[in-house]
Amino acid sequence: MNSGKNFAGVIGFFDEPRALLEATRQVRDANFARFDSFTPYPVHGMDAAQGIKRSRIPYVTFVAGLCGFLFAFWFQYWTMAVDWPLNVGGKPFNSWPAFVPVMFELTVLVAGLSTLVAMLYFNRLPNVFRRGFDPSITRDRFALLIEPPASEKEATEFLEQIGAKEVRAVYAQGWFE
Amino acid sequence: MTIRLNRVQNPGTFDAPAPFKMMLLTFCVLGALTFAIGLSVSPTRAWASFVHNHFYFMSLALGGLFFASIQWLTGAMWSAPLRRLSESLTAYLPLVLLSFAILYFGIQSLYPWSNPEHVFGDPILEGKTGYLNTGFFVIRNLLGLAVWLFFSKVMIGNSLKQDISGDHRLTERNRSLSPVFLILFAITFTSASFDQLMSLDPHWFSTIFGVYCFAGLFYAALAAICLLTVYLKSQGKLKELVNENHLHDLGKFMFAFTIFWAYIGFSQFMLIWYANLPEETGYYLKRMHSNWYYVSAFLLVGKFLTPFFLLITRSAKRNSRVLAGVAVFMLIAQWIDVLWMVQPEFFSDGPVFGFIEIGVTLGFSGIFGITVARFLRKNNVVAIGDPRLAESLRHEQ
Repeated sequence: MNSGKNFAGVIGFFDEPRALLEATRQVRDANFARFDSFTPYPVHGMDAAQGIKRSRIPYVTFVAGLCGFLFAFWFQYWTMAVDWPLNVGGKPFNSWPAFVPVMFELTVLVAGLSTLVAMLYFNRLPNVFRRGFDPSITRDRFALLIEPPASEKEATEFLEQIGAKEVRAVYAQGWFE
Repeated sequence: MTIRLNRVQNPGTFDAPAPFKMMLLTFCVLGALTFAIGLSVSPTRAWASFVHNHFYFMSLALGGLFFASIQWLTGAMWSAPLRRLSESLTAYLPLVLLSFAILYFGIQSLYPWSNPEHVFGDPILEGKTGYLNTGFFVIRNLLGLAVWLFFSKVMIGNSLKQDISGDHRLTERNRSLSPVFLILFAITFTSASFDQLMSLDPHWFSTIFGVYCFAGLFYAALAAICLLTVYLKSQGKLKELVNENHLHDLGKFMFAFTIFWAYIGFSQFMLIWYANLPEETGYYLKRMHSNWYYVSAFLLVGKFLTPFFLLITRSAKRNSRVLAGVAVFMLIAQWIDVLWMVQPEFFSDGPVFGFIEIGVTLGFSGIFGITVARFLRKNNVVAIGDPRLAESLRHEQ
């Protein structure tokens, strides 16, 4: 099992969130290319400690919402005033107030669905090739995973040096192995 | 690891700069003078401007009480350092009684239903006399005022008492009182907006009108709270207490209720426009033709779209200068919205804006400013005894 090709990184465990935050900062500053932190609950300041930039999802949401809005207006205008002009209560064919509810709905629908898709894309989800490293990180422990290209020796030494309580190499395991 | 939870530096009271207070006092005098002159030159304009500003500043003061009570009701933590500023707006409430007493003498000039000659022979207005008559009008308004004054006295009294005792039971008491107030507020404020603004045209009715006025009330109150917060922060009073995360939350509130106002305003408009019933559509006919068209367009572009796009980004909501600028703009936009509700009933050609309108507005803003400044001079600018204050200082998004 412990063959080199399945090596997925080195994981270090910490007992409390502040220690993990501090360790994460050190890993960030040591310029490891790929690493991740695991906590049983959200920890404030983790984004900054990991050096994660602001998400780009809001821009996707905005542009998608705008597209939905414009599409809904154009489509209603085209159907009601161009393709099949319909006299409703003597109002002008292009009666924009009547279009607003549909414009609003499509804005929200397109923006919402695009946000979901963008979120999955940016998070590289769904990912069925990864399994939990240790059940304790969903319960009461805090873990830090340093992934390749860092070598096993390099990562192990660094994690031990920054005070991880337990350090071990992990190997890729997946449901579809 | 030690976290000291109870060490919050009390910023104390705030005394407004003397020139500012002098300016407010001048405004009051100017306002009283212009109103007196206006009554003799053009009573319609003077009274229209009076009811406009009466309603605007009453809403602002009530908005402060509304904001504070939803914080108590929900047990909000984030707002603890700025809740006192929303309480300070209610200092104007007792003066609403005075301004309503003055309004009493304008009923004849403002409300067609109070004129028997106008009502006689009009079957619709005759049918409404059971509700729309001077006696009942005064009773309804005084009842509403009594409710607001009672709850502001008790709840804000509790909050001020807590500054000294730090007793958390006072917060719990306010939490129990808040839902009672909020339910009564919904009823009394709806009735006040029906009475004071909607009955300017006694033929017209819109069941959503109270909600529309409420949307404007909260829109303006949030802007006023934001402006006070940024101002006191710039004066060094809230430096340690309010950080950009608090401002961000306030900005989100302003953004959300900009949308809420537009949603309610459009709901009222679209149903009337779509159904096109003669008894309902007159209200919008007056406002969609002549120069009123441009004011209506301003409400869409200025009151909704401008704050919407200015506040949409995260960085804008965390920037106190941007927030303060938008807050001033929102306060003006709400003032124009109330103008748009009042004036078309008297001036069909377009908005009338001259020395009477400016003077009366200055007068009201002077009185409002003085009462708020007096409140902040007498009381701590932060609810220093609030059990959630210490936690709120570490507020993070």
